Amino acid sequence: MLEFLKFVIAGFREATRGQRLYHLWMGTLTVFILIGVYFYSVQLREGLAITGMHDHVSWGLYISNFTFLVGLAAAAVMLVLPAYIFGDIDFKRVVLIGEGVAVAALIMCLAFVIADMGRPDRLWHMLPFIGYFNWPSSLLAWDVIVLNGYLALNVVIPFYLLYSRYRGRKADPKKYLPFVFISVFWAIAIHTVTAFLYAGLSSKPFWNSSILGIRFLASAFSAGPAFIAVTLYFIDKHSDFKIEENIFHKLGYIITVAAQINLFLLGSEIFKEFYHPTAHSHSAYYLFFGYEGHNALVPWIWTSIILNVLATATLTIHKLRRNRRVFLVMCLTLFVAIWIEKGMGLIVPGFIPSQLGEIVEYFPTMPEIFITLGIWALGLFVFTFLVKIAIPIELGYLHLKQSSTSTQGVEHA
Amino acid sequence: MPRYGMVIDTKRCVGCADCVVACKTENNVPEGYCRDWIVQDVQGDYPDLYMEIRSERCNHCENAPCVRCCPTGASHIVEGGIVLVDHDLCTGCKACIAACPYDARYVHPEGYVDKCTFCIHRVREGKDPACVEVCPTKCMHFGDLDDPRSEVSKLLKSRPHHALIPEAGTEPKIFYLY
Repeated sequence: MLEFLKFVIAGFREATRGQRLYHLWMGTLTVFILIGVYFYSVQLREGLAITGMHDHVSWGLYISNFTFLVGLAAAAVMLVLPAYIFGDIDFKRVVLIGEGVAVAALIMCLAFVIADMGRPDRLWHMLPFIGYFNWPSSLLAWDVIVLNGYLALNVVIPFYLLYSRYRGRKADPKKYLPFVFISVFWAIAIHTVTAFLYAGLSSKPFWNSSILGIRFLASAFSAGPAFIAVTLYFIDKHSDFKIEENIFHKLGYIITVAAQINLFLLGSEIFKEFYHPTAHSHSAYYLFFGYEGHNALVPWIWTSIILNVLATATLTIHKLRRNRRVFLVMCLTLFVAIWIEKGMGLIVPGFIPSQLGEIVEYFPTMPEIFITLGIWALGLFVFTFLVKIAIPIELGYLHLKQSSTSTQGVEHA
Repeated sequence: MPRYGMVIDTKRCVGCADCVVACKTENNVPEGYCRDWIVQDVQGDYPDLYMEIRSERCNHCENAPCVRCCPTGASHIVEGGIVLVDHDLCTGCKACIAACPYDARYVHPEGYVDKCTFCIHRVREGKDPACVEVCPTKCMHFGDLDDPRSEVSKLLKSRPHHALIPEAGTEPKIFYLY
């Protein structure tokens, strides 16, 4: 118990010191979090009426980000699978970073769901045993299980590994490998359940498609590792934790293949909608070309398509992908492209036109945008916090005996 | 156990929206929202035009997607097959709104989801729902679809009718007479 307390104190001490850049980064994030908290307090008082959502488009920016971030969380499996199960030495070094991304993404997911609820005070109704948990009928009830379960797995496994290392003991694979196996399947489950949440609605032809589950996974396994690659670059640059070129190469392969599959699946959907349009293609028309003079999402989605094709094509060429700078820029490009496509590009057109054939467009309001930024800042804050503690433990700077005299100014931004 | 449904005669409906006003008054529906509404569906090309006026509301589906997807069981089915929302259980997650093919639900300013109840408080007293009661052309009929002697069953037997979006597979219980 005393050891655990020392671990917590040492971890906290580690997370609260660093160079000026670190404090500047965390300070900026804190400002954004506080602005988000303020606007959320306004939303609690005034209700969802202060958002841009309305009777017709009842899921907007929050649920869009939620959907995307479930994918980001699931993407950790692309590091977990090779690292723990295939024993890949390169990925073993960075797998904790991937799990850190998963934890941060899941916290953002849960925050976005709560932000979207009309009555967040009744959240407990959705919990098993203590609430009125409509399982297995409701896909949202499944989502509660898979998201929280995955969060628990991604906290427990890295915690056990880091705590063992902190105490100078060897982690016992018998203790953590079973959970790793579970987490691999669980990662695929979280994104499949989220896809089924939409695909199961016969009232929304735009989502009611059997391809949605696999599309979600493909986009997640490209955007997620792309995000991890960018964070690894910053960790490499600002800390003593050096990332070998090989890791970027392997990540690059994963990102590229997933992006190619994703593009193919997107193309299949577009073909199906436009080769022979039916009454069910109105939403797709609204999204890609505008419908009856309403075209708010048209520039938005074409930006995504162009960025997506550009990034996938560039990454496909070995020479360009192996160039570190090009690779990172394209990772960011791909990340933004998929954030648009799988966020607002997927959720909003599902509601347009409405079942009554009316077209009412959706534009997020200022409070909504600031709450969203606040939640993203919260996620980045949590991620930085976790990485800041994990790196010195991984490098062996931070361990039990010398914990009071530790650190060599490990820095990360 | 009855199986309540509604039969609406589109030949008689004049689209006066009295049903909408009655519902808002009876159920204290907040300003800017409504549990039932009028649709004027124009079909054909000029000059061969045909307009169907419909009073629409929750279809109290047999196979209700809103009940299936509700994470807390706030959306539930009670006696007579009436689909209700327990306001105290609803978290306002809006999954049911996305699941409904009829756009029958809205988020109440208090944060929970609300919709037509078939005026269950009146039905339990043996009265018709408020919308049916006030209709000036008597185009709306409410009753037990399983009882062959009920007015709704007789109308469905004697007149051609259709339900809305049957292809969604929800088995709606509101029928429109041609």
